[in-house]
Amino acid sequence: MSAAVPISSPRSPRVRRRVGWTAAAVVALLAAVLLSLAVGARATAPSQVLDALWYGTPGKATAVVRDMRLPRTVVGLMVGAALAIAGTVLQGITRNPIADPGILGISHGASLGVVLAMTLAGVQTLSGYVWWAFAGAALASVAVYAVAARGRGGATPVKLALAGAAINALLLSVVHAVLTTHAAVLDRFRFWQVGSLPSQDTGIAAQIWPFLLVGVVLVASVARGLDALALGEDVAKGLGQNVATVRIVGGIGATILVGVGVAAAGPIAFVGLAVPHIARAIVGTDHRWLLPMAALVGPVMLLVADTVGRIVFPPSEVPSGVMTALIGVPFLIALVRRKKAVAA
Amino acid sequence: MTLSLARPAGYTLVRAGRASFLVHRRATAVALALTLLLAAACLTYLCAAQSYVAPSEALKVVLGQPSPDELTVGTFRLPRMTVGLLVGAAFGVAGALIQTVSRNPLASPDIIGVTQGASALTVGALTFGVTSYAYLPYLSVAGGLLAAALVYVFAWRGGLHATRFVLIGIGFAVALRSVTNLFMTKGDYLVAQQAKVWMTGSLADRGWDEAVPVTWALLLLTPFVCWAARAQRTVSMDDDTATALGIRLGRVRLGLALLGVVLASIATGAAGPVDFVALLAPQLARRMTRTAQIPLLSSALTGAVIVVVADLLGRKLFEPTQLPVGVLTAAVGAPYLIWLIIRGRTGGKA
Amino acid sequence: MTETDIETGTGTGRRPARLSARDLTLAYEDRTVVDGLDVDIPDGAVTVIVGPNACGKSTLLRALGRLLKPARGSVLLDGTELARIPTRAIARSLGLLPQSPVAPEAITVADLVSRGRQPHQRWWQQWSDADEHAVTEAMTRTDTAALAERSVDELSGGQRQRVWIAMALAQETDLLLLDEPTTYLDISHQVEVLDLCRRLNHERGRTVVAVLHDLNQAARYADHLIAMKSGRIVAQGAPSDIVTADLVRDVFGLESVVVPDPVTGSPLVVAGRPWGAGD
Repeated sequence: MSAAVPISSPRSPRVRRRVGWTAAAVVALLAAVLLSLAVGARATAPSQVLDALWYGTPGKATAVVRDMRLPRTVVGLMVGAALAIAGTVLQGITRNPIADPGILGISHGASLGVVLAMTLAGVQTLSGYVWWAFAGAALASVAVYAVAARGRGGATPVKLALAGAAINALLLSVVHAVLTTHAAVLDRFRFWQVGSLPSQDTGIAAQIWPFLLVGVVLVASVARGLDALALGEDVAKGLGQNVATVRIVGGIGATILVGVGVAAAGPIAFVGLAVPHIARAIVGTDHRWLLPMAALVGPVMLLVADTVGRIVFPPSEVPSGVMTALIGVPFLIALVRRKKAVAA
Repeated sequence: MTLSLARPAGYTLVRAGRASFLVHRRATAVALALTLLLAAACLTYLCAAQSYVAPSEALKVVLGQPSPDELTVGTFRLPRMTVGLLVGAAFGVAGALIQTVSRNPLASPDIIGVTQGASALTVGALTFGVTSYAYLPYLSVAGGLLAAALVYVFAWRGGLHATRFVLIGIGFAVALRSVTNLFMTKGDYLVAQQAKVWMTGSLADRGWDEAVPVTWALLLLTPFVCWAARAQRTVSMDDDTATALGIRLGRVRLGLALLGVVLASIATGAAGPVDFVALLAPQLARRMTRTAQIPLLSSALTGAVIVVVADLLGRKLFEPTQLPVGVLTAAVGAPYLIWLIIRGRTGGKA
Repeated sequence: MTETDIETGTGTGRRPARLSARDLTLAYEDRTVVDGLDVDIPDGAVTVIVGPNACGKSTLLRALGRLLKPARGSVLLDGTELARIPTRAIARSLGLLPQSPVAPEAITVADLVSRGRQPHQRWWQQWSDADEHAVTEAMTRTDTAALAERSVDELSGGQRQRVWIAMALAQETDLLLLDEPTTYLDISHQVEVLDLCRRLNHERGRTVVAVLHDLNQAARYADHLIAMKSGRIVAQGAPSDIVTADLVRDVFGLESVVVPDPVTGSPLVVAGRPWGAGD
């Protein structure tokens, strides 16, 4: 008994394992970034990549790395992290393991925003879509919360999930209806809809980073609250958490993050759903570890998928939205099977 | 007085000799009302799907009497409506079963990979040279079953754990959707166009050749659905209690999930992946009947009403443009579900 | 409670016991909890299993009720291995209340209690007179008839526990296994539930097996007491024969004085050397 190490001390094996895994995830992320910069139609050696980044030696390689691959990688980093964190938070708030931005209607809110931008306002540029995507995502989440919070019992997990599904269904049918009646919009929209990282510098990263920051801060502020919420509403209240505040602040944070992701890369499926589960299998359910881990694993998954997508069927590229799923699914299945009981 | 207390509340006892049945009063009333609503929707469909036909003439055609509108109603509208009705009912029941087994109101065949399996095989076949439309329904049934079998194999680990089942189902759903998207970028433009139409879920050009096999398939499955309606009661208990009551929960769950998958595959084969019917219909039905479990009959009727009304609206709303039925199913069902959640009589229980 | 005379023996009887276990080994994943255990549950008696936390008493009960498959050995019901009897047939002769059952959402009390009739029902016989009678009696006996129309979700812990017991009673089985049936109950309801077990046994000749935490309640209500420690049976027999200060020290590691219960005369364990009482 005298030799017992407190669970939270840095020497406890639990914490050491978590630190180890987090370090491994950081290394994996660096590798993914390097890969994303080096691999493509024109392969670039790692030394050339560093050369291009640091010194900017004039030449073809520098142009490719600096003007095309770097912006794409930066956007991939931001989008991957944003979607993964948003998914983690949404699963925590609804206490539903299959909740993700897609199922809860937030992504389709953003989609509707983009469709309306194309149809009503005639917006053509990616940077022009950003605001519409944000507005759509925000309106969708407000609607979901408003519906769920009415009636008996307030915004319970089940009602949030169901309201999300219903709003999602409604939004999608409006999107479909607009697309079916406006052929020209469909032509532009279908490319956006698949979800892919931009292949040249659109200045989007500069536009979205403040939102990413705000979203991350909001989410981080309720990490403890999400832990408490996982134990049930009554226990959470008993632990001194204001359940409604946790839900609303976390929800706003998640919405902003989804807006960031969808605005920059279209509705990329699966990152928001799978990464939280993968991260949870690695570091456990403590949100103070879970959120950073999700933020590391999300970009790794997205960047690797994007890089592989560039080279599997040359000369055409497979959109990252498609590759993410193909690469991520085996992971998800292996992890879900490995655990005896799946934490909700 | 004490005697009536023992009987579960809200049920009426019907007896015939040694046989006895418990009938949930509200569920029966809801089912009757839905049947009337469905009949009205069907009649409206037959009369007004495109050019107007008098109700009396439409009824004559349905009853097999000679009528000048034989061609319009009997050859075009009636089979299409029949397919829609059956597809809606099948999706409704499939959704109810899968939501029951997974204990998750968000689960439905379009989420756990069944419809995606059907899509992947169908679109793959279109892309790689299958040109005959006659094979497509069978391919999509095969695809749905294949996907479900994969999900089942990977999800089984000494039992069918609800969350594991749903998560692995979603994993396969996403992967298969990606494969489908990949196929669509590989084929030429016309094939992609065909595939796109099929994938939205459409009842266009469905005739008796499509309606008859679906009818038979669903008739054959009816006894199983009757079993399911009763077996479903037991799945809501926890594993220990169910075992104590002599229920083989693992088998019952498997049977229910299998039936749901088969129904969804058949429906997808007939009309393509009509979105959201399987998700919305059971939730609407449960909220209307206020029963502890999802009522199968009412789910079937609700699904049928949604699809028939959605197809009618799709044909009328933006005339002459015809919207595929999949576009409007959500628009028909979702507002009502939202309203029911807001009113919240059932306290938001799944 | 009136003193009940016990006619049945305590496992040494002539006929083999209806429920017994042979060479029973129970394990969760790779952790063995019970190893090579033999036990006979005396017919027509109230058997109580006691022991410190994590001694395997609930695990044993779960195995007796076929909730847990033995890793080795077998549980026998009327001489047949449990695994060979259809689970529905078992449910007609052996009822079981698990430790923390979960009610389906929004179910009413009467509906839940009537679920206990499931093993006796067929699709064409959904509600017979026998069903009605059994459910009414189960609710009356557990004092839950007044709650019939209420939703189980909104009951207090004690009310809910009584509803679950009612469900197990409605099953009308000769053997009844209860895993800590007095949890969540206040003292008067604890006594009521235990009295109920005794009455079921006395009036109906039912065999009751219960896992209890409270050694004194166990000694008071059991005909046959089984004391377990680390997966083994340390002692079994009539409480008055086996409950001694030595046994309590051996099983619970607690110093105590055993005196006759002033009401029933059964052994009463009084913990010795409480904090602050000096060394």
